[in-house]
Amino acid sequence: MRGGRGWGLLLPAVLLLLVAFVVPVGLMVPTSFRPYVPLVGITSGFTVSYYTRLVTDSYYLEIIGRTLALGLTVTLSTLLIGYPLAYFLARSPSRWRNWLTILVVFPLYLNLVVRTFGWIALLAQNGLVNQALQALGVVQEPVKLLFNFAGLLIALTHIFLPFMVLVLIGPIQNIPRDVEDAARVLGASWGSTFLRVTLPLSMPGILSGSILVFVLTISALVTPRLLGGPTYQVMSTLIYDEFLQRLNWPAGSAEALLLTLMVLALVFLSGVLTRRTGARA
Amino acid sequence: MSGAAPALRVSRLRKAFGAVVAVDEVSLEAAPGEFLSLLGPSGCGKSTVLRMVAGLVEPDAGQVVLAGEDITGVAVHRRNLGLVFQSYALFPHMTVLENVAFGLRRRGVGEAELRPRVERMLELVRLGPLGARYPRELSGGQQQRVALARALVTEPRVLLLDEPLSNLDALLRDEMRVELKRLQERLGTTMIFVTHDQAEALILSDRVVVMEAGRVEQIGRPEEVYRRPATPFVARFLGRANFLSGTVAATDAGGIVVAVEGGLAVVASPRPGVAPGQRVQVTIRQESIRLGPPGAGGERPNRFAATVVFHAFAGQAHHYVVQLADGRELEVAAPGGAPALARGARALVEWGPEDVVLLAGGDGGAR
Repeated sequence: MRGGRGWGLLLPAVLLLLVAFVVPVGLMVPTSFRPYVPLVGITSGFTVSYYTRLVTDSYYLEIIGRTLALGLTVTLSTLLIGYPLAYFLARSPSRWRNWLTILVVFPLYLNLVVRTFGWIALLAQNGLVNQALQALGVVQEPVKLLFNFAGLLIALTHIFLPFMVLVLIGPIQNIPRDVEDAARVLGASWGSTFLRVTLPLSMPGILSGSILVFVLTISALVTPRLLGGPTYQVMSTLIYDEFLQRLNWPAGSAEALLLTLMVLALVFLSGVLTRRTGARA
Repeated sequence: MSGAAPALRVSRLRKAFGAVVAVDEVSLEAAPGEFLSLLGPSGCGKSTVLRMVAGLVEPDAGQVVLAGEDITGVAVHRRNLGLVFQSYALFPHMTVLENVAFGLRRRGVGEAELRPRVERMLELVRLGPLGARYPRELSGGQQQRVALARALVTEPRVLLLDEPLSNLDALLRDEMRVELKRLQERLGTTMIFVTHDQAEALILSDRVVVMEAGRVEQIGRPEEVYRRPATPFVARFLGRANFLSGTVAATDAGGIVVAVEGGLAVVASPRPGVAPGQRVQVTIRQESIRLGPPGAGGERPNRFAATVVFHAFAGQAHHYVVQLADGRELEVAAPGGAPALARGARALVEWGPEDVVLLAGGDGGAR
């Protein structure tokens, strides 16, 4: 790839990135500093108020905090559920593996809105989950699972689990069995082998899977909108409302830029971490 | 060997994978300090035997006894064995030092004792200054030496080696053979060495176990299995040889005369258990055949006139294919120092009756 041919192959992707990502995001930068006057629209002038309120107003801080907390917990729960599943898939005989993988991926074939409505039916006050919990006597009163953190956590974990599993399978498969066997012969119990050999060698997969799920979660719109309702906001629903409900493009731009910045920072951080762990693995 | 309990005894070990019987009633013993090779073609079950000894594969039947203690049901990590893999199987996320220290740490050896032991072992495999490197920064030969150090540092009761030299290039392999043998002599560790390379097995071993299709074909010292193969398979697998099938024509004190198909008469040294009329396979090793200047054949036993139809020089030896008067071709390996005979040259081939191996059966090239 020393000649010019390598760049030619990159060109379509670079163009797409430029037109669909860099230009729109770039255009938002000037917009985010313009004052918005209700009933008048975007005026010429300069203000940093949309940024300052994001980092000072408790209403916005809570939404940002909630978004990050949701991203973190969804990532952790998909990791906790997904790792054993991916490990099982990676280590099952190859004739089973394909079918089991299809089973894992299957939910992705269903429309996101349909799946989300499914969760509404399950999680509602008189939904299946609450009916079951009450019938079993676990709770007396219905538990609130909709329009709050718990509902979003459950639904988003389910929706993003296949991504985590798919990303994890490859790296786990790439861990040579001999290396684990070597650890066991050297005196490491099953648990010790897992902690000292298998888990460290899965780190590249864990990192990229976590980044993927985290980014997908904090930018998810449909599920938080439907399961969170109009009042339980996360950053993506807030941005959506600014642009399309309140028509406050400058505020929406500022919020969208902050979200983009958070994502970019994370991707950069993961790159550094992957290089560091991957260099050794 | 006298009286002492064997370091390792495997008795009637059996393992099937689905319908395929990988290991069938394998029994063997290794004396303390012995270098024992399991030799056979790929798929003969030798690696499975080794993995059952290590505890990585559970046998269907049979026993693994280590220095008098039955360890058949003992967990892998409690067996205190060493295992060296063909793939090296080093921990890629650890330095050389940490790799070697792994087994000691699992045994709860304290830092104060651990460090010098690891360093001494690295010195022993001539990797002293490379402790801080990661495996990917080492050559194949160095990686295998790390694997060896890692397995030996815990002073295992028996060291198991699964084709440890097969991933190395030829020159390095020769070097590592010598190193491995010297290490074994120095440490006195009992070693069980799995290989498909007959030369490797002969050079390194005190005794060789030849395996085929899950069964033991022969166990013996290298000279025994080479010179007196017990089965046609062993004869065929060890060294290059010519195989002729025939019928015993006469036996007397002077020797056994075999009428080989096609009219040739081959004379073998006398041995018990051979009767006239019996079908036998005649095995004559390539290097047992002498090539001489042309003359009349037939006045002495096992001397025949021949024509060179192929010649290649391989350094240590000249490889020839010669054709006898009846059209039969024989492969001959002559010492490399001798002058070469050109293709088409007339010659005389001869071998001693003591160099002829007779095996019952005589299906010649069937196996």
